[in-house]
Amino acid sequence: MKYPINLSIFILIFLFSCTPKPQPINYGEDGCHYCKMTIVDSRYAAEAVTSKSKVYKFDAVECLLNFINENGDTEFSLKLISPFDSEGLTSAESCVYLRTPELPSPMGEYLNGLSDHEFAEELQEKHGGEIYTWNELLKKFGSLPEMNIN
Amino acid sequence: MKNLLMLFILITGTINLHSQKLKVCPDCPYTSIKEAIKLSSPYDTIIVKSGVYKEGNITIEKPLYIIGEDYPVIDGESEFEIFTIKSDSVTLQGLKLINVGVSYTKDLAAINIINSDFVNIKGNILENSFFGVYYQKSSYGTIEGNVIKGNAVKEISSGNAIHLWHCDNMQIIHNQVKNHRDGIYLEFVDSSRIVNNISEGNLRYGLHFMFSNWDDYISNVLRDNGAGVAVMFSKFIIMEDNLFEKNWGTTSYGLLLKEIYDAEIINNKFYKNTIGIYGESATRIKISNNEFHQNGWALKILGSCMDNEVVSNNFIGNTFDVTTNSSRNYNIYQGNYWDEYTGYDLNKDGYGDVPYRPVSLFSHVITKSESSIILLRSLFVDLLNYAEKVTPVFTPESLKDESPKMKPIQ
Repeated sequence: MKYPINLSIFILIFLFSCTPKPQPINYGEDGCHYCKMTIVDSRYAAEAVTSKSKVYKFDAVECLLNFINENGDTEFSLKLISPFDSEGLTSAESCVYLRTPELPSPMGEYLNGLSDHEFAEELQEKHGGEIYTWNELLKKFGSLPEMNIN
Repeated sequence: MKNLLMLFILITGTINLHSQKLKVCPDCPYTSIKEAIKLSSPYDTIIVKSGVYKEGNITIEKPLYIIGEDYPVIDGESEFEIFTIKSDSVTLQGLKLINVGVSYTKDLAAINIINSDFVNIKGNILENSFFGVYYQKSSYGTIEGNVIKGNAVKEISSGNAIHLWHCDNMQIIHNQVKNHRDGIYLEFVDSSRIVNNISEGNLRYGLHFMFSNWDDYISNVLRDNGAGVAVMFSKFIIMEDNLFEKNWGTTSYGLLLKEIYDAEIINNKFYKNTIGIYGESATRIKISNNEFHQNGWALKILGSCMDNEVVSNNFIGNTFDVTTNSSRNYNIYQGNYWDEYTGYDLNKDGYGDVPYRPVSLFSHVITKSESSIILLRSLFVDLLNYAEKVTPVFTPESLKDESPKMKPIQ
């Protein structure tokens, strides 16, 4: 009787360990995989997990975008960002991105991921700029307009 | 001559007439700095006597000299930005600024300078500030002799001690910056000089360049930071006479170079760093007359680095002298002293007669599989390295110093 339970636990563990899982970011210790900078600011961090459960951490949304673009043949199960307005990692697709010269991001692309779409609009009213969805951003990245700093 | 004298008296007279000294203290004509600023004329001097001032955010919109006597304390009460400067030609000197507020969407600073030229910040003490001195879109400013101490040991939401954004022709001299995110951070800053500063215990970098060109940093001490200096996406940076010391940790470097072109790294000392210099996509860099002492890796130069010259450096007591991740090499190594060189000098010209190969096979293995470091200092590894030295197979064939120095370069 004991045997099947043990087996099922084993299978469960096995299955569980195979599902790509996010890893928490250790701020101040982990380095960005793309730009090598130490990740320090939870308002901009990002993470990608491949279908083989390999975890890559980034200090900014732009580094994640660059990395995805440069590794076109890799399959990413999870694309996560740490939004400007909340703690922890959230799916990058579920967020919107405000790009305004008044809110610079670590790698010079002025991208601020926001989980709350209403708050994003509020911020846009206050600071100006454009709002992008993840897919728009992925498509347009590399040809985003220059930021006009005056 | 007499006319000249008259003219001199006239000029100094008019200056005296127009510029006045306003004193601020509890029993002075002015009891608050804000009041003194409001009632002052351009180019006046405001003397703040010792005491504690809690006045919220103080905005300066005209040219002024604000000088503290015996370090008057100006407290931001963990809520406000202390000084916001929106005028050219302002000097702040001899003040003690403490407890700046922390905001999520705004980078609050002890002193925030916006769109203003010729602003000097001299001899101040800044403690517990979110951002210390923050210049935006300003030119010709001087930051000299300040002591800026944060509390970013564990605090992640911390700002930089000196932060420059879209500036040019700035001077950062003789400051001590400690326990912030970055000690000195320059983003889009051109033609500036960073001289004689001590930057230590910062969470991320001692000194950090992003998208900045034609800058020099000379005679600075960078100690115990996440990494000493990071130079990224920048061109024409001169790095001379600096000390990179004890920047230890898994993601630590003495000097991190990423996407940089046409730089000079001369006469620096790299002592006890995890990696002395890490280079990724670094091109046309001259690395000469430096001392690499007791680092984990002295140089980690990735395959994307090209046309660099590593000339006349001393490599002493490093676990690995040079590593790379590529079997090709497009850089020049020449006339360096390598303490692990075992060659000979029969013609007595001071240079070894057989080339030295600084990339050991084992260091190559480690870049592929980090856990193999457990074999370090084993006989097996010595044999491996020896075999590779005799007939190089895996390490870049052209990565060698044809004329290694027999004695350390003085």
